[in-house]
Amino acid sequence: MTLQRRLWIVLLLTWSLGPLLWQLYTSFSINEALVTPFADLPQRWTFAHYQAVLTGDPPFWRYLFNSLIVGAGSTVLTLIIAIPAAYALTRSQARISQVARVVLIGAALFPYVLLFLALLEVARSLNLGNHLLALTIPYAALSQPLAILLLSSAFRDLPIDLEEAATLEGLDLWQKLRWVLIPLIAPATTSTAILVFLFAWNEYPIALTWISDSNLLTLPVAMARIAGSSIYSVPYGAYAAATVLGSIPLILLVLMFQKSIVSGLTSGAVKG
Amino acid sequence: MTALLIPAALLLGLVFVVPMLRYVWLSGHADSVLTGLVAIPNQGANWVRLLNDARFWQDAAQTLRFAVVSVGLEILLALAIALLLDQRWRGRGAVRALTLIPWALPTTVMALGWRWIFNTPYGPLEQVSGLLGGPALNILSNPSISWLATVFGDVWKTTPFAALILLAGLQTIPSDLYEALKLEGASAATCFKRITLPLLQPYIALALLFRLAQAFGVFDLIQVMTGGGPAGSTESLALYAYLNAMRFLDFGYSATVMMGSFLLLISLCIICWICLQSLQRRLGRA
Amino acid sequence: MSLSINNLGRRIGDRWILRHLDLDVSDGECLALVGPSGCGKSSTLRLIAGLDQVDEGTITIQGEDITHTAAIERKVGMVFQSYALFPHLSVAANLELGLKVRGCARDERQRKVRHVLQLVQLEDRAALKPAQLSGGQRQRVALARALLRDPQIYLLDEPMSNLDAQLREDLRPELRRLVLQDKKPVVYVTHDQHEAMAMADRIAVLRNGRIEQVATPMQLYQHPDTLFVAEFIGRPQINVLAAEQGVVRAIRPEALELRADGLPCRLLHREWLGSSQIWQLESPAGTLRMLTSAEQTVPERIAIGWSEQLEHRFNAENGQRIKG
Repeated sequence: MTLQRRLWIVLLLTWSLGPLLWQLYTSFSINEALVTPFADLPQRWTFAHYQAVLTGDPPFWRYLFNSLIVGAGSTVLTLIIAIPAAYALTRSQARISQVARVVLIGAALFPYVLLFLALLEVARSLNLGNHLLALTIPYAALSQPLAILLLSSAFRDLPIDLEEAATLEGLDLWQKLRWVLIPLIAPATTSTAILVFLFAWNEYPIALTWISDSNLLTLPVAMARIAGSSIYSVPYGAYAAATVLGSIPLILLVLMFQKSIVSGLTSGAVKG
Repeated sequence: MTALLIPAALLLGLVFVVPMLRYVWLSGHADSVLTGLVAIPNQGANWVRLLNDARFWQDAAQTLRFAVVSVGLEILLALAIALLLDQRWRGRGAVRALTLIPWALPTTVMALGWRWIFNTPYGPLEQVSGLLGGPALNILSNPSISWLATVFGDVWKTTPFAALILLAGLQTIPSDLYEALKLEGASAATCFKRITLPLLQPYIALALLFRLAQAFGVFDLIQVMTGGGPAGSTESLALYAYLNAMRFLDFGYSATVMMGSFLLLISLCIICWICLQSLQRRLGRA
Repeated sequence: MSLSINNLGRRIGDRWILRHLDLDVSDGECLALVGPSGCGKSSTLRLIAGLDQVDEGTITIQGEDITHTAAIERKVGMVFQSYALFPHLSVAANLELGLKVRGCARDERQRKVRHVLQLVQLEDRAALKPAQLSGGQRQRVALARALLRDPQIYLLDEPMSNLDAQLREDLRPELRRLVLQDKKPVVYVTHDQHEAMAMADRIAVLRNGRIEQVATPMQLYQHPDTLFVAEFIGRPQINVLAAEQGVVRAIRPEALELRADGLPCRLLHREWLGSSQIWQLESPAGTLRMLTSAEQTVPERIAIGWSEQLEHRFNAENGQRIKG
């Protein structure tokens, strides 16, 4: 590998990970070190910030747990609705599927934050506020476009004679889906699931407006609350610790599933 | 068979169509603390107010500036990253995974981090500037340049996404095209101009359009990183709409702001589309 | 008649891809559908299976009119050209799936699967996935699946076309034996006339969605009803002479012989077939193909003739055989 390329890679990694690493450094540094970084201090490292964050009220892991529930629930709900819809789309007439694709791409492009007010009204009138699983409904709805586009292209790639053979074997629609078709699109399903999970975990405006109970906050909202306390106070150490803790689950997820994520996004791009 | 489509269609209708219709209705009514939170029709008074609302138009300009600069930078960076990742070298997969991390993190989580990094006087940028003998940067308190900090934060998070799309595009280009051109003695730059760019064009267009629409609705980053300040210089349209609803409790006007933003976005997309089409035609002719 | 097709027709848009098809197949009979690409042979099969809609006519199996029955309810054992094995399931699971869904208990299922695997000699491959099998083995699994269906009729859609020539020849008798063992009607689609001649009791020659002729291989060869059939059946291809007064004459290559008073010819090409040879000759009547014994030497002066009785005569306009 050429020196030049090595340089670019280092640059890329510094750019991508630098800010996070800085947070890591900050989270372990005592406050004096943050304020006077070049001073010579006998002891610069501490766990105090992490302690502060983890023993807060409610404890930090609570937010991770809430986000996990919402993320998992949204993923399951999205797939339950999107998989049959994606299949139906591939077996529909050309006209319908063309129109549907345009509609879905348009919906995927839409900046959903603009919907928050109406969705809030829906939450209020149906009493869905402060209810973690209720969040899965708008999340599943907002994830449909991407999920249906990815899953339907996976279904379309399946050879049609597999379905015909299944029919002749006596499998009805649900049996076909369950035993043959859905197992065969497993990679696409995994990609979709992860992308939906990431979306649900990271979503902010809707979670912000639907949930106010501090025990039920999802991670992004909790972080914003921590930040919302005056800009002028200095517990940046604690903020950094919170950032690191909040990032770890997702970093692990990305590292574990990166192939799946990449293939999902790129296949969406190629066929979109 | 079409019955299978119904739940999805219902959800989509519920989450996209119903709100938009509601906004249209709501924007024609006064519904705020002043009306006791009851909607009273006011025959377009909200819209008149919107057209004369300096803050709305300032926010629109700021949002546009943010979106254009941010997306522009992203595409350039994404292209560079995609070109790097398209080649084969050891450890490519691991590096690709690591570059994905910024995109996977919630915006609000890193927004705090950005606040710290751009912090005066303790943030690392200030420290480095001080070390080099430069002036105090005071980025986040300076109304003329604080928006650049938000651009930076946005570019950092969303570039991997654009990079992946462009990478997908790069991987569809058959390598024998490059080989054929190289046999004729073309340089790397020529290969790029004659093969890569034209073939990548639909992907660039896709990434561009997608990111532009998303950037136009920027909310999370601004609210947590700067709160719209200093002096409203980083406030985005989405944030303004949010404030109208949640802080001023003026729901009618909030809906109007959102409708207005949506219409501006559509116009922006149409303009972009036209520009891209004519650019495509010109590239095709070249 | 176990399979009876009457006036079958199917169209796509305005175009009829099959029209006025009449066909009968008895129990224990293998009928081959042959013809050039696009002649409608696979379409016919798909209509019998129920995978496509019938626009005209009826299909009757074992006396029951199934023309508009759903495919899922027809008891049809079909072997697809690509075999259509479920790639994510093992061989055994592939075979069990249909049984499971039709309500067969587990022990019974496993027993039946084991039995049919023995029949096709694949017991030791039961746990493998289709991708790990050879083409011939996959074909046998597909056949096993059809056998397990215990169908009223077998449909085979070019089951050998993915296999190499040698394998095809080796498998032919085995395939025929297996598929006819329970004495059900078999419809076999192929584009290879040799295969059709080897596998089938009767052959239906199709062209542009219509049947040109249905007969035994020998009848097709010796008494083709139309010029098309005469040209389609038989390798090397029959010699067709230019039309004279509305009549087209055709002679089989093996009917040509050296005759002192025959047409003077020039040898263009000579092809060895081992036990025989083909001569390609240029004559005043056009290019002629002649089949002769391996020992025949090429004379100084070549003169070719044939007995008029061995001529086939067809109407130049409609290609129909001229009687007498």
